[in-house]
Amino acid sequence: MKNVTYRWNTFQLYDYRGVEEHLSAMAAQGWRLEKASGSLWKYRRAEPASLRYAVTYNAGASRFEPGPTEGEQSLEELCAAAGWEKVSDCSKMQIYSTEDPAAVPLETDEALRLENIHRCMRKSFLPGNIAVLLLMLFIGRDFFLALVTWDLYGMLKNNALLTAGVLCLAEAALQLCLLAGYFLWRRRSRRSVEEGGTCLPAGRWSRWANLGMWVLLVLLVAAFLLSELDRGHRGAVLYFAVYMAFFTLINILMRGTTALLRKKGASKTSNIAWTLVADFGLCFILIGGLVWTRFETDWFSDERPTGETYEYRDQNWDISPRQDFPLTLAELTGEEYGHVRREAEDLGSVFIPQRAYRETALLGDGPKVCGLGYTLWDLSSPALQDSLLEDLLEDDPIKFRGMLLTTLRYVPEDPVPWGAEAAYRRYYDEDPGDSWLLVWPGRAASVSPDAEPADTQKALISARLAPEDWKEETP
Amino acid sequence: MAREKFQTLTEPMFYILLTLREECCGTDIMTRVSALTHGRVDLGPGTLYNLLDSFLKAEMIRETGVSGRKRSYLITKKGRETLAAEYRRLLALTEDYKSCVGEEDLK
Repeated sequence: MKNVTYRWNTFQLYDYRGVEEHLSAMAAQGWRLEKASGSLWKYRRAEPASLRYAVTYNAGASRFEPGPTEGEQSLEELCAAAGWEKVSDCSKMQIYSTEDPAAVPLETDEALRLENIHRCMRKSFLPGNIAVLLLMLFIGRDFFLALVTWDLYGMLKNNALLTAGVLCLAEAALQLCLLAGYFLWRRRSRRSVEEGGTCLPAGRWSRWANLGMWVLLVLLVAAFLLSELDRGHRGAVLYFAVYMAFFTLINILMRGTTALLRKKGASKTSNIAWTLVADFGLCFILIGGLVWTRFETDWFSDERPTGETYEYRDQNWDISPRQDFPLTLAELTGEEYGHVRREAEDLGSVFIPQRAYRETALLGDGPKVCGLGYTLWDLSSPALQDSLLEDLLEDDPIKFRGMLLTTLRYVPEDPVPWGAEAAYRRYYDEDPGDSWLLVWPGRAASVSPDAEPADTQKALISARLAPEDWKEETP
Repeated sequence: MAREKFQTLTEPMFYILLTLREECCGTDIMTRVSALTHGRVDLGPGTLYNLLDSFLKAEMIRETGVSGRKRSYLITKKGRETLAAEYRRLLALTEDYKSCVGEEDLK
């Protein structure tokens, strides 16, 4: 039979009633709180008992202070004299218990309690809450902008952006709700106290919102990772896993540093300073090293599904080029190539599948090469198609050190030779380039051959890249 | 609108300052206030701790000694003035009551 159990702490700092009721209920079930630091609270098995728990607040308490402060000792002394025994503390929350049903409550002045809670909230919770809110708005700014302007493609174009955007949005909404919830509780409690009553219960919604956020986080991250694995992005999943492992390790080491310095009796200032130094050092070494590894090694690159390659004329070529390309260079040009390299990648999201194909071939015996690239988007609704086209057809200024080099833009051209509903050619300012955007109902394709295709080649491209139902309707 | 701090005193504030006319520690304050008010006013240790902290910051009391975890306090001149002002305020309230209602209703 296990003697220790843990519970996830979802109580808000000001929810003293919730904590008191929860701990009394746990004691009645035979579990007494042993340690209440951080997010996991530790309980030890004991005889079921009718225990009274009470929470008071010490605005001067800090996890960086060495041992119990003079103030904490003083409070403990007063509580002991009134029959209350210190159980644990969590941030500025001090938790006491007593078996004496007649013991004087820890707080006998509700106005003072409310004022004290607000002082603690101002010192610890509110700055952190506002910082998280601003951070979420900053990280998710692209997603939020797309949401505000109802840019569907901007929101749904890739899984990572979508996952991060939804998480940031949910977290920002949660922080806003928690802020609003606290100020609402404070206003209602103040009114109650002015009328001679007590501070009001905090309500369970904030606990459910906190739990809901964790569930959402786990589900979305799992969906993102599964989707990436499904598309063969093992490198990205591995990178994410290592990143999260390092993040957790840094968190544990930081808390360990603070606890160790506290144990050694370091002052609050030096504890904060050394913890920050440790934090920056660990971030620099672990996260910086990870980012460096990502760009400088192929540890996190995806395996090439085509398998083995060989080297010829300083380039890698496929021994057995993949055969799942809807259109190959040889089919388009009618030529045979002795050295070919084919790469395909899924880039879109579950809502807008986007697959990019790229083929490179050596001309004759080299050294010149030729290529063909195309990207296909499958669009399940006209609204998504409109949004994608709006994004792609927007002028794209190319700048270098603030100087405008050229503006990329698509210019409509006759779609009939392309066998498409609409066709656009890419221009560099006034000069035509060799890229076209073709549109069919439910699909768009960006095609980049090496030169302008002849009409027969355009028809072949359409025959290979257009959706099946379009081909059936327009044979 | 929130009233200015210590402009008027709540019952716990009043009795803590009254008790501290003589030097005493926190646990003595709790006992003395309860005895003085015949149990009508009970001071919770959390409330007492926070009020002592506020009084110290407002320089209405001062710390006179530390013995182990026990700390002793004594009212300051500023504290006495605040206490006296509160007494005068309470007297004024009483006088106003008497002039309006008389003492008949109290019997």
